[in-house]
Amino acid sequence: MTIPHTDVRTDPGSFRDPANRVFYADGEVLRGLDARAARDWRALSASDFFPPLLAAGKVCGTEAVEPARFAAVAGAQWAAVLRHERIPFVSHPYEWSFGMLRDAALLHLEILRAALTAGFTTKDGSAYNLQWRGVEPVFIDVGSFEPARDGEPWAGYRQFCQTMLYPLLLTAHLGVDFQPWLRAQVDGIPPEQMRRLFTGVRRLLPGVPTHVHLHSAMQQRNADAASGEVREQLRGAGFSRELALAAVRRIERLVRRLRPRHVRSHWADYQRTCSYSAADRAAKERFVELALTAAGPPRLVLDLGANDGRYARLAARYAGYVVAVEQDPAVVDELYAALRADEQRRVLPLVLDLADPSPGGGWRGVERAAFATRGRADLVLALAVVHHLAIGRNVPLAQVVDQLADACLPGGRLVVEFVHPEDPMARRLLANKPAGLFPDYRPDEFARLLAARCRVERRVELPGGTRTLYQAVVGG
Amino acid sequence: MHLAYLDAGSGSLIVQAVVGGVAGAAVAAKLYWRRLTARYRRQRTDRS
Ligand SMILES: C[S@@+](CC[C@H](N)C(=O)[O-])C[C@H]1O[C@@H](n2cnc3c(N)ncnc32)[C@H](O)[C@@H]1O
Repeated sequence: MTIPHTDVRTDPGSFRDPANRVFYADGEVLRGLDARAARDWRALSASDFFPPLLAAGKVCGTEAVEPARFAAVAGAQWAAVLRHERIPFVSHPYEWSFGMLRDAALLHLEILRAALTAGFTTKDGSAYNLQWRGVEPVFIDVGSFEPARDGEPWAGYRQFCQTMLYPLLLTAHLGVDFQPWLRAQVDGIPPEQMRRLFTGVRRLLPGVPTHVHLHSAMQQRNADAASGEVREQLRGAGFSRELALAAVRRIERLVRRLRPRHVRSHWADYQRTCSYSAADRAAKERFVELALTAAGPPRLVLDLGANDGRYARLAARYAGYVVAVEQDPAVVDELYAALRADEQRRVLPLVLDLADPSPGGGWRGVERAAFATRGRADLVLALAVVHHLAIGRNVPLAQVVDQLADACLPGGRLVVEFVHPEDPMARRLLANKPAGLFPDYRPDEFARLLAARCRVERRVELPGGTRTLYQAVVGG
Repeated sequence: MHLAYLDAGSGSLIVQAVVGGVAGAAVAAKLYWRRLTARYRRQRTDRS
Protein backbone atom coordinates (compact mmCIF):
# COMPACT_ATOMS: atom_id res chain seq x y z
CA MET A 1 0.00 0.00 0.00
CA THR A 2 1.27 3.49 -0.71
CA ILE A 3 0.36 6.40 1.49
CA PRO A 4 -0.55 9.60 -0.30
CA HIS A 5 2.02 12.21 0.76
CA THR A 6 1.25 15.82 0.14
CA ASP A 7 4.42 17.58 1.25
CA VAL A 8 7.48 15.86 -0.20
CA ARG A 9 10.92 17.31 -0.67
CA THR A 10 14.48 16.15 -1.04
CA ASP A 11 17.00 17.42 1.48
CA PRO A 12 19.17 19.76 -0.59
CA GLY A 13 22.11 18.98 1.70
CA SER A 14 22.23 15.24 1.05
CA PHE A 15 23.36 14.99 -2.58
CA ARG A 16 27.07 14.52 -1.99
CA ASP A 17 26.90 10.76 -1.56
CA PRO A 18 24.98 9.36 -4.55
CA ALA A 19 24.42 6.05 -2.75
CA ASN A 20 21.75 7.54 -0.51
CA ARG A 21 19.44 10.51 -0.28
CA VAL A 22 17.30 12.10 2.43
CA PHE A 23 13.64 13.05 1.88
CA TYR A 24 11.04 14.77 3.99
CA ALA A 25 7.48 13.62 3.61
CA ASP A 26 4.71 14.96 5.82
CA GLY A 27 7.00 15.49 8.76
CA GLU A 28 8.80 12.17 8.35
CA VAL A 29 12.52 11.93 7.61
CA LEU A 30 13.33 9.15 5.13
CA ARG A 31 16.55 7.94 3.56
CA GLY A 32 16.67 5.99 0.32
CA LEU A 33 19.59 3.55 -0.10
CA ASP A 34 20.91 2.06 -3.35
CA ALA A 35 21.74 -1.67 -3.53
CA ARG A 36 25.23 -1.31 -2.12
CA ALA A 37 24.20 1.10 0.65
CA ALA A 38 21.37 -1.27 1.53
CA ARG A 39 23.89 -4.09 1.92
CA ASP A 40 26.02 -1.87 4.17
CA TRP A 41 22.93 -1.05 6.24
CA ARG A 42 22.13 -4.73 6.76
CA ALA A 43 25.69 -5.42 7.87
CA LEU A 44 25.56 -2.38 10.14
CA SER A 45 22.35 -3.32 11.88
CA ALA A 46 23.69 -6.86 12.42
CA SER A 47 26.98 -5.56 13.86
CA ASP A 48 27.97 -5.48 17.54
CA PHE A 49 28.80 -1.81 17.72
CA PHE A 50 25.87 -0.08 16.01
CA PRO A 51 22.80 -1.17 18.04
CA PRO A 52 24.31 0.02 21.37
CA LEU A 53 25.10 3.44 19.86
CA LEU A 54 21.54 3.63 18.60
CA ALA A 55 20.13 2.60 21.98
CA ALA A 56 22.27 5.22 23.76
CA GLY A 57 20.91 7.91 21.45
CA LYS A 58 24.38 8.71 20.10
CA VAL A 59 23.23 7.93 16.57
CA CYS A 60 19.88 9.32 15.48
CA GLY A 61 16.94 6.92 15.75
CA THR A 62 16.72 4.77 12.60
CA GLU A 63 14.55 1.92 11.43
CA ALA A 64 14.04 0.17 8.12
CA VAL A 65 10.65 0.60 6.49
CA GLU A 66 9.06 -1.16 3.53
CA PRO A 67 10.49 0.56 0.40
CA ALA A 68 7.34 -0.11 -1.64
CA ARG A 69 5.30 1.97 0.81
CA PHE A 70 7.43 5.00 0.06
CA ALA A 71 8.01 4.53 -3.66
CA ALA A 72 5.66 7.42 -4.42
CA VAL A 73 7.74 9.69 -2.20
CA ALA A 74 11.30 8.63 -2.68
CA GLY A 75 11.10 7.09 -6.13
CA ALA A 76 11.19 3.39 -6.92
CA GLN A 77 14.96 3.17 -7.45
CA TRP A 78 15.92 2.56 -3.80
CA ALA A 79 16.80 -0.91 -2.58
CA ALA A 80 15.95 0.05 1.00
CA VAL A 81 14.34 2.94 2.81
CA LEU A 82 15.12 4.05 6.37
CA ARG A 83 13.05 6.27 8.62
CA HIS A 84 14.92 8.60 10.99
CA GLU A 85 14.07 10.34 14.19
CA ARG A 86 13.25 14.00 13.60
CA ILE A 87 15.85 16.44 14.94
CA PRO A 88 13.83 19.15 16.73
CA PHE A 89 15.68 22.12 15.18
CA VAL A 90 18.41 21.84 12.55
CA SER A 91 21.56 23.89 13.22
CA HIS A 92 24.91 24.34 11.50
CA PRO A 93 28.43 24.10 12.98
CA TYR A 94 28.94 27.85 12.53
CA GLU A 95 26.09 28.38 14.98
CA TRP A 96 27.71 26.24 17.68
CA SER A 97 29.96 27.42 20.49
CA PHE A 98 33.47 26.07 21.06
CA GLY A 99 32.29 23.51 23.61
CA MET A 100 29.56 22.35 21.26
CA LEU A 101 31.92 21.84 18.34
CA ARG A 102 34.38 20.06 20.63
CA ASP A 103 31.73 17.69 22.03
CA ALA A 104 30.39 17.05 18.53
CA ALA A 105 33.94 16.22 17.38
CA LEU A 106 34.48 13.89 20.34
CA LEU A 107 31.24 12.06 19.60
CA HIS A 108 32.25 11.65 15.96
CA LEU A 109 35.59 10.19 17.03
CA GLU A 110 34.00 7.91 19.63
CA ILE A 111 31.64 6.53 16.99
CA LEU A 112 34.46 6.11 14.50
CA ARG A 113 36.55 4.25 17.11
CA ALA A 114 33.66 1.91 17.88
CA ALA A 115 33.16 1.35 14.14
CA LEU A 116 36.84 0.65 13.41
CA THR A 117 37.04 -1.85 16.26
CA ALA A 118 34.13 -3.73 14.68
CA GLY A 119 35.55 -3.63 11.15
CA PHE A 120 33.53 -0.65 9.91
CA THR A 121 34.45 2.92 9.09
CA THR A 122 32.77 6.20 8.09
CA LYS A 123 33.08 7.49 4.53
CA ASP A 124 33.49 11.06 5.69
CA GLY A 125 34.35 13.11 8.77
CA SER A 126 32.34 16.26 8.43
CA ALA A 127 30.91 18.41 11.22
CA TYR A 128 27.68 18.33 9.22
CA ASN A 129 27.36 14.65 10.23
CA LEU A 130 26.17 15.90 13.62
CA GLN A 131 23.09 17.61 14.99
CA TRP A 132 21.69 18.33 18.45
CA ARG A 133 18.93 17.11 20.70
CA GLY A 134 19.07 20.00 23.17
CA VAL A 135 22.66 19.96 24.45
CA GLU A 136 23.24 16.34 23.38
CA PRO A 137 25.11 15.85 20.10
CA VAL A 138 23.67 13.20 17.73
CA PHE A 139 25.38 11.53 14.77
CA ILE A 140 22.89 11.72 11.92
CA ASP A 141 24.66 10.40 8.83
CA VAL A 142 23.78 6.72 9.04
CA GLY A 143 24.57 6.46 5.31
CA SER A 144 28.20 7.19 6.11
CA PHE A 145 29.00 3.78 7.64
CA GLU A 146 30.57 1.09 5.48
CA PRO A 147 32.70 -2.01 6.06
CA ALA A 148 36.35 -1.03 6.39
CA ARG A 149 38.92 -2.41 3.98
CA ASP A 150 41.92 -3.59 5.92
CA GLY A 151 45.03 -1.47 5.67
CA GLU A 152 43.23 1.72 4.77
CA PRO A 153 43.36 4.98 6.67
CA TRP A 154 40.20 6.97 7.51
CA ALA A 155 38.83 8.67 4.38
CA GLY A 156 37.19 11.37 6.53
CA TYR A 157 40.35 12.67 8.19
CA ARG A 158 40.78 15.68 5.91
CA GLN A 159 37.15 16.75 6.36
CA PHE A 160 37.44 16.25 10.09
CA CYS A 161 40.46 18.58 10.15
CA GLN A 162 38.82 21.19 7.93
CA THR A 163 35.42 21.35 9.60
CA MET A 164 36.20 20.43 13.22
CA LEU A 165 39.82 20.23 14.33
CA TYR A 166 41.06 23.41 12.63
CA PRO A 167 38.17 25.59 13.80
CA LEU A 168 38.82 24.34 17.35
CA LEU A 169 42.54 25.09 17.02
CA LEU A 170 41.74 28.64 15.88
CA THR A 171 39.83 29.38 19.08
CA ALA A 172 41.99 27.32 21.44
CA HIS A 173 45.38 28.53 20.26
CA LEU A 174 44.71 31.97 18.76
CA GLY A 175 41.55 33.14 20.56
CA VAL A 176 39.89 33.67 17.16
CA ASP A 177 36.17 32.85 16.88
CA PHE A 178 35.83 30.04 14.33
CA GLN A 179 32.18 30.64 13.40
CA PRO A 180 32.72 33.16 10.55
CA TRP A 181 35.39 30.88 9.00
CA LEU A 182 33.03 27.91 8.88
CA ARG A 183 30.11 29.97 7.69
CA ALA A 184 32.11 31.30 4.77
CA GLN A 185 33.37 27.92 3.50
CA VAL A 186 31.11 24.91 3.38
CA ASP A 187 34.11 22.56 3.19
CA GLY A 188 35.86 24.20 6.13
CA ILE A 189 39.37 25.63 6.39
CA PRO A 190 42.02 24.06 4.09
CA PRO A 191 45.40 23.09 5.62
CA GLU A 192 47.36 25.62 3.57
CA GLN A 193 45.31 28.49 5.01
CA MET A 194 45.85 27.19 8.53
CA ARG A 195 49.58 26.84 7.92
CA ARG A 196 49.85 30.57 7.24
CA LEU A 197 48.22 31.40 10.57
CA PHE A 198 50.56 29.21 12.59
CA THR A 199 54.05 30.54 11.92
CA GLY A 200 56.99 31.10 14.29
CA VAL A 201 56.64 29.49 17.73
CA ARG A 202 52.96 28.83 17.04
CA ARG A 203 54.13 25.98 14.83
CA LEU A 204 54.80 24.04 17.99
CA LEU A 205 51.38 24.37 19.64
CA PRO A 206 49.58 21.06 20.34
CA GLY A 207 48.29 19.43 17.16
CA VAL A 208 49.83 22.03 14.87
CA PRO A 209 53.07 20.32 13.71
CA THR A 210 51.33 17.22 12.35
CA HIS A 211 47.70 18.11 11.62
CA VAL A 212 48.49 21.50 10.11
CA HIS A 213 52.08 21.76 8.84
CA LEU A 214 52.86 18.18 7.94
CA HIS A 215 49.34 17.79 6.55
CA SER A 216 49.70 20.82 4.29
CA ALA A 217 53.16 19.76 3.11
CA MET A 218 52.01 16.19 2.41
CA GLN A 219 49.04 17.42 0.42
CA GLN A 220 51.26 19.55 -1.74
CA ARG A 221 53.86 16.85 -2.27
CA ASN A 222 51.32 14.15 -3.09
CA ALA A 223 48.95 16.30 -5.08
CA ASP A 224 49.61 14.48 -8.34
CA ALA A 225 49.31 11.00 -6.83
CA ALA A 226 45.79 9.56 -7.10
CA SER A 227 44.46 8.62 -3.67
CA GLY A 228 43.72 5.07 -4.84
CA GLU A 229 47.40 4.61 -5.63
CA VAL A 230 48.44 6.03 -2.25
CA ARG A 231 46.06 3.67 -0.45
CA GLU A 232 47.75 0.78 -2.25
CA GLN A 233 51.21 2.04 -1.26
CA LEU A 234 50.15 2.46 2.37
CA ARG A 235 48.74 -1.04 2.50
CA GLY A 236 51.97 -2.33 0.99
CA ALA A 237 54.01 -0.50 3.62
CA GLY A 238 52.04 -2.19 6.41
CA PHE A 239 49.31 0.25 7.40
CA SER A 240 46.82 -1.62 9.59
CA ARG A 241 43.55 -1.24 11.42
CA GLU A 242 45.50 -0.90 14.68
CA LEU A 243 47.32 2.09 13.24
CA ALA A 244 44.06 3.68 12.13
CA LEU A 245 42.73 3.18 15.66
CA ALA A 246 45.89 4.60 17.22
CA ALA A 247 45.52 7.72 15.06
CA VAL A 248 41.90 8.19 16.14
CA ARG A 249 42.82 7.78 19.80
CA ARG A 250 45.53 10.41 19.50
CA ILE A 251 43.19 12.88 17.81
CA GLU A 252 40.67 12.26 20.60
CA ARG A 253 43.29 12.98 23.24
CA LEU A 254 44.25 16.22 21.46
CA VAL A 255 40.65 17.42 21.06
CA ARG A 256 39.79 16.63 24.67
CA ARG A 257 42.67 18.84 25.87
CA LEU A 258 41.66 21.92 23.86
CA ARG A 259 40.18 24.84 25.83
CA PRO A 260 38.75 28.03 24.36
CA ARG A 261 40.72 31.23 24.63
CA HIS A 262 37.80 33.63 24.61
CA VAL A 263 38.18 37.31 24.96
CA ARG A 264 36.27 38.10 28.16
CA SER A 265 33.10 39.76 26.94
CA HIS A 266 30.97 42.43 28.51
CA TRP A 267 27.87 40.25 28.15
CA ALA A 268 29.24 37.40 30.17
CA ASP A 269 28.64 39.47 33.34
CA TYR A 270 25.32 40.82 32.19
CA GLN A 271 23.08 39.33 34.88
CA ARG A 272 25.32 40.77 37.55
CA THR A 273 25.75 44.20 36.00
CA CYS A 274 22.33 44.78 34.44
CA SER A 275 20.00 47.42 35.77
CA TYR A 276 17.13 45.24 37.02
CA SER A 277 15.89 45.59 40.55
CA ALA A 278 14.63 42.47 42.30
CA ALA A 279 11.07 43.79 41.88
CA ASP A 280 11.56 44.30 38.12
CA ARG A 281 12.97 40.83 37.70
CA ALA A 282 10.16 39.18 39.65
CA ALA A 283 7.51 41.04 37.66
CA LYS A 284 9.22 40.16 34.39
CA GLU A 285 9.44 36.48 35.27
CA ARG A 286 5.78 36.39 36.26
CA PHE A 287 4.80 38.06 32.99
CA VAL A 288 6.82 35.61 30.89
CA GLU A 289 5.53 32.60 32.79
CA LEU A 290 1.93 33.67 32.27
CA ALA A 291 2.57 34.14 28.54
CA LEU A 292 4.04 30.63 28.32
CA THR A 293 0.91 29.15 29.85
CA ALA A 294 -1.57 31.38 28.02
CA ALA A 295 -2.48 28.67 25.51
CA GLY A 296 -1.52 25.00 25.33
CA PRO A 297 2.17 24.17 25.74
CA PRO A 298 4.14 25.76 22.86
CA ARG A 299 5.96 23.22 20.70
CA LEU A 300 8.86 25.51 19.80
CA VAL A 301 10.02 28.64 21.63
CA LEU A 302 12.68 30.98 20.22
CA ASP A 303 14.49 33.06 22.83
CA LEU A 304 16.19 35.92 20.96
CA GLY A 305 19.12 37.53 22.77
CA ALA A 306 19.09 34.77 25.38
CA ASN A 307 22.24 35.76 27.32
CA ASP A 308 22.59 33.38 30.29
CA GLY A 309 19.38 31.58 29.33
CA ARG A 310 17.33 32.56 32.39
CA TYR A 311 14.16 32.86 30.30
CA ALA A 312 15.00 29.99 27.97
CA ARG A 313 15.10 27.70 31.01
CA LEU A 314 11.85 29.12 32.26
CA ALA A 315 10.35 28.44 28.82
CA ALA A 316 11.69 24.87 28.86
CA ARG A 317 9.41 24.10 31.81
CA TYR A 318 6.41 24.61 29.56
CA ALA A 319 7.59 24.14 25.98
CA GLY A 320 8.49 21.12 23.87
CA TYR A 321 11.78 22.66 22.71
CA VAL A 322 13.57 25.98 23.16
CA VAL A 323 16.15 27.49 20.82
CA ALA A 324 18.19 30.12 22.66
CA VAL A 325 19.82 32.52 20.22
CA GLU A 326 22.68 34.76 21.31
CA GLN A 327 25.31 36.65 19.36
CA ASP A 328 28.22 36.33 21.75
CA PRO A 329 30.12 33.01 21.31
CA ALA A 330 31.64 33.16 24.80
CA VAL A 331 28.20 33.67 26.39
CA VAL A 332 26.76 30.77 24.39
CA ASP A 333 29.65 28.58 25.47
CA GLU A 334 28.93 29.30 29.14
CA LEU A 335 25.24 28.70 28.59
CA TYR A 336 25.98 25.36 26.88
CA ALA A 337 28.18 24.24 29.78
CA ALA A 338 25.57 25.31 32.35
CA LEU A 339 22.75 23.53 30.51
CA ARG A 340 24.79 20.34 30.30
CA ALA A 341 25.64 20.53 33.99
CA ASP A 342 21.93 20.81 34.79
CA GLU A 343 21.01 18.03 32.37
CA GLN A 344 18.58 20.42 30.75
CA ARG A 345 17.65 18.47 27.63
CA ARG A 346 15.20 20.78 25.93
CA VAL A 347 17.23 23.93 25.26
CA LEU A 348 19.46 24.31 22.21
CA PRO A 349 21.82 27.30 22.52
CA LEU A 350 23.01 28.84 19.24
CA VAL A 351 25.47 31.57 18.23
CA LEU A 352 23.64 33.94 15.91
CA ASP A 353 23.59 37.67 15.29
CA LEU A 354 20.00 38.77 14.74
CA ALA A 355 21.26 41.63 12.59
CA ASP A 356 23.24 39.17 10.45
CA PRO A 357 21.60 35.74 10.76
CA SER A 358 23.01 32.69 8.93
CA PRO A 359 22.27 32.97 5.22
CA GLY A 360 21.79 29.92 3.00
CA GLY A 361 25.11 28.21 2.22
CA GLY A 362 26.75 25.63 -0.02
CA TRP A 363 25.56 24.64 -3.46
CA ARG A 364 23.08 27.20 -4.84
CA GLY A 365 22.84 28.64 -1.36
CA VAL A 366 20.40 25.91 -0.32
CA GLU A 367 22.64 23.06 0.82
CA ARG A 368 22.70 24.66 4.29
CA ALA A 369 19.38 26.31 5.01
CA ALA A 370 19.24 29.94 6.09
CA PHE A 371 18.20 30.49 9.70
CA ALA A 372 14.96 32.22 8.77
CA THR A 373 13.78 29.21 6.72
CA ARG A 374 14.36 26.62 9.44
CA GLY A 375 11.10 26.94 11.23
CA ARG A 376 8.98 29.56 12.92
CA ALA A 377 8.09 29.38 16.57
CA ASP A 378 4.84 29.05 18.49
CA LEU A 379 6.23 31.59 20.92
CA VAL A 380 9.04 34.13 20.52
CA LEU A 381 10.76 35.79 23.48
CA ALA A 382 12.47 39.10 22.66
CA LEU A 383 13.39 40.40 26.08
CA ALA A 384 15.58 43.48 26.36
CA VAL A 385 16.93 42.99 22.84
CA VAL A 386 14.91 45.46 20.72
CA HIS A 387 17.08 48.41 21.78
CA HIS A 388 20.19 46.52 20.65
CA LEU A 389 18.79 46.16 17.16
CA ALA A 390 17.04 49.55 16.88
CA ILE A 391 19.72 51.69 18.49
CA GLY A 392 22.82 49.50 18.47
CA ARG A 393 22.45 48.40 14.87
CA ASN A 394 20.32 51.21 13.41
CA VAL A 395 17.50 48.86 12.29
CA PRO A 396 14.32 50.92 11.85
CA LEU A 397 11.90 50.13 14.70
CA ALA A 398 9.15 49.05 12.27
CA GLN A 399 11.51 46.50 10.76
CA VAL A 400 12.50 45.16 14.15
CA VAL A 401 8.81 44.57 14.89
CA ASP A 402 8.42 42.85 11.49
CA GLN A 403 11.42 40.62 12.15
CA LEU A 404 10.05 39.51 15.53
CA ALA A 405 6.54 38.94 14.19
CA ASP A 406 7.89 36.97 11.21
CA ALA A 407 9.75 34.65 13.58
CA CYS A 408 6.34 33.52 14.92
CA LEU A 409 3.97 31.11 13.25
CA PRO A 410 0.70 32.74 12.23
CA GLY A 411 -1.34 32.83 15.42
CA GLY A 412 1.81 32.39 17.51
CA ARG A 413 2.72 34.58 20.48
CA LEU A 414 5.30 37.30 20.75
CA VAL A 415 6.57 38.33 24.19
CA VAL A 416 8.61 41.47 23.86
CA GLU A 417 10.19 43.92 26.28
CA PHE A 418 10.59 47.52 25.18
CA VAL A 419 13.33 49.43 26.98
CA HIS A 420 12.42 53.14 27.11
CA PRO A 421 14.95 55.71 25.90
CA GLU A 422 15.32 57.02 29.49
CA ASP A 423 16.40 53.62 30.80
CA PRO A 424 20.09 53.61 31.81
CA MET A 425 20.91 50.75 29.38
CA ALA A 426 19.19 52.45 26.44
CA ARG A 427 20.85 55.75 27.39
CA ARG A 428 24.22 54.06 27.20
CA LEU A 429 23.53 52.85 23.68
CA LEU A 430 22.13 56.24 22.64
CA ALA A 431 25.24 57.99 23.97
CA ASN A 432 27.25 56.23 21.23
CA LYS A 433 25.12 57.71 18.48
CA PRO A 434 24.64 61.28 17.19
CA ALA A 435 21.92 63.05 19.24
CA GLY A 436 18.45 62.91 17.70
CA LEU A 437 19.23 60.02 15.37
CA PHE A 438 16.27 57.91 16.53
CA PRO A 439 13.24 60.16 16.95
CA ASP A 440 10.95 57.10 16.52
CA TYR A 441 12.45 55.18 19.39
CA ARG A 442 9.58 55.91 21.84
CA PRO A 443 7.19 53.67 23.82
CA ASP A 444 4.10 55.08 22.07
CA GLU A 445 5.57 54.49 18.61
CA PHE A 446 6.60 50.95 19.54
CA ALA A 447 3.07 50.26 20.85
CA ARG A 448 1.58 51.59 17.61
CA LEU A 449 3.86 49.47 15.38
CA LEU A 450 3.21 46.36 17.45
CA ALA A 451 -0.56 46.86 17.30
CA ALA A 452 -0.32 47.17 13.50
CA ARG A 453 1.17 43.66 13.24
CA CYS A 454 -0.35 41.86 16.23
CA ARG A 455 -3.23 41.77 18.65
CA VAL A 456 -1.84 42.87 22.00
CA GLU A 457 -3.25 40.69 24.78
CA ARG A 458 -1.46 42.04 27.79
CA ARG A 459 1.00 44.75 28.77
CA VAL A 460 2.79 45.56 31.99
CA GLU A 461 5.08 48.39 33.06
CA LEU A 462 7.92 47.07 35.18
CA PRO A 463 8.08 48.73 38.64
CA GLY A 464 11.26 50.62 37.66
CA GLY A 465 9.15 52.60 35.20
CA THR A 466 11.48 52.40 32.18
CA ARG A 467 10.48 49.07 30.63
CA THR A 468 7.24 47.78 29.14
CA LEU A 469 6.39 44.13 28.48
CA TYR A 470 3.91 43.03 25.82
CA GLN A 471 2.24 39.75 25.04
CA ALA A 472 0.77 39.74 21.54
CA VAL A 473 -0.74 37.28 19.07
CA VAL A 474 0.75 37.58 15.61
CA GLY A 475 -1.65 38.19 12.76
CA GLY A 476 -4.54 38.11 15.22
CA MET B 1 48.48 19.84 -14.03
CA HIS B 2 45.35 21.89 -13.50
CA LEU B 3 44.50 22.36 -9.82
CA ALA B 4 41.06 20.78 -10.10
CA TYR B 5 42.60 17.45 -11.18
CA LEU B 6 44.91 17.20 -8.20
CA ASP B 7 43.85 14.91 -5.39
CA ALA B 8 44.07 16.78 -2.10
CA GLY B 9 43.09 13.58 -0.29
CA SER B 10 46.31 11.68 -1.06
CA GLY B 11 48.50 13.59 1.37
CA SER B 12 45.84 13.41 4.06
CA LEU B 13 46.04 9.63 3.96
CA ILE B 14 49.78 9.51 4.59
CA VAL B 15 49.64 12.01 7.48
CA GLN B 16 47.41 9.63 9.37
CA ALA B 17 50.19 7.10 9.52
CA VAL B 18 52.37 9.68 11.26
CA VAL B 19 49.52 10.66 13.61
CA GLY B 20 49.35 7.00 14.64
CA GLY B 21 52.68 7.26 16.51
CA VAL B 22 56.06 5.57 16.12
CA ALA B 23 54.76 2.46 14.37
CA GLY B 24 52.82 4.65 11.99
CA ALA B 25 55.80 6.87 11.24
CA ALA B 26 57.69 3.71 10.34
CA VAL B 27 54.97 2.84 7.83
CA ALA B 28 55.23 6.32 6.28
CA ALA B 29 59.02 6.00 6.12
CA LYS B 30 58.71 2.62 4.44
CA LEU B 31 56.28 4.05 1.89
CA TYR B 32 58.74 6.80 1.01
CA TRP B 33 61.65 4.36 0.89
CA ARG B 34 59.74 2.13 -1.52
CA ARG B 35 58.90 5.09 -3.75
CA LEU B 36 62.57 6.06 -3.81
CA THR B 37 63.85 2.59 -4.65
CA ALA B 38 61.13 2.16 -7.26
CA ARG B 39 62.25 5.36 -8.96
CA TYR B 40 65.89 4.24 -8.83
CA ARG B 41 65.03 0.87 -10.35
CA ARG B 42 63.03 2.58 -13.10
CA GLN B 43 65.96 4.85 -13.96
CA ARG B 44 68.29 1.87 -14.21
CA THR B 45 66.00 -0.08 -16.55
CA ASP B 46 65.50 3.09 -18.61
CA ARG B 47 69.26 3.43 -19.08
CA SER B 48 69.97 -0.17 -19.98
C1 LIG C 1 20.05 43.07 27.74
S1 LIG C 1 20.46 41.38 27.40
C2 LIG C 1 18.91 40.55 27.65
C3 LIG C 1 19.05 39.11 28.07
C4 LIG C 1 17.75 38.37 28.32
N1 LIG C 1 16.93 38.28 27.14
C5 LIG C 1 16.99 39.04 29.45
O1 LIG C 1 15.94 39.62 29.18
O2 LIG C 1 17.44 38.95 30.58
C6 LIG C 1 20.62 41.43 25.65
C7 LIG C 1 21.28 40.17 25.07
O3 LIG C 1 21.04 40.22 23.68
C8 LIG C 1 22.23 39.90 23.01
N2 LIG C 1 22.20 40.58 21.72
C9 LIG C 1 22.39 41.89 21.48
N3 LIG C 1 22.33 42.12 20.16
C10 LIG C 1 22.12 40.93 19.56
C11 LIG C 1 22.00 40.52 18.21
N4 LIG C 1 22.11 41.38 17.20
N5 LIG C 1 21.81 39.21 17.95
C12 LIG C 1 21.71 38.31 18.95
N6 LIG C 1 21.83 38.65 20.24
C13 LIG C 1 22.04 39.94 20.55
C14 LIG C 1 23.35 40.38 23.89
O4 LIG C 1 24.56 39.69 23.62
C15 LIG C 1 22.77 40.11 25.26
O5 LIG C 1 23.14 38.85 25.75
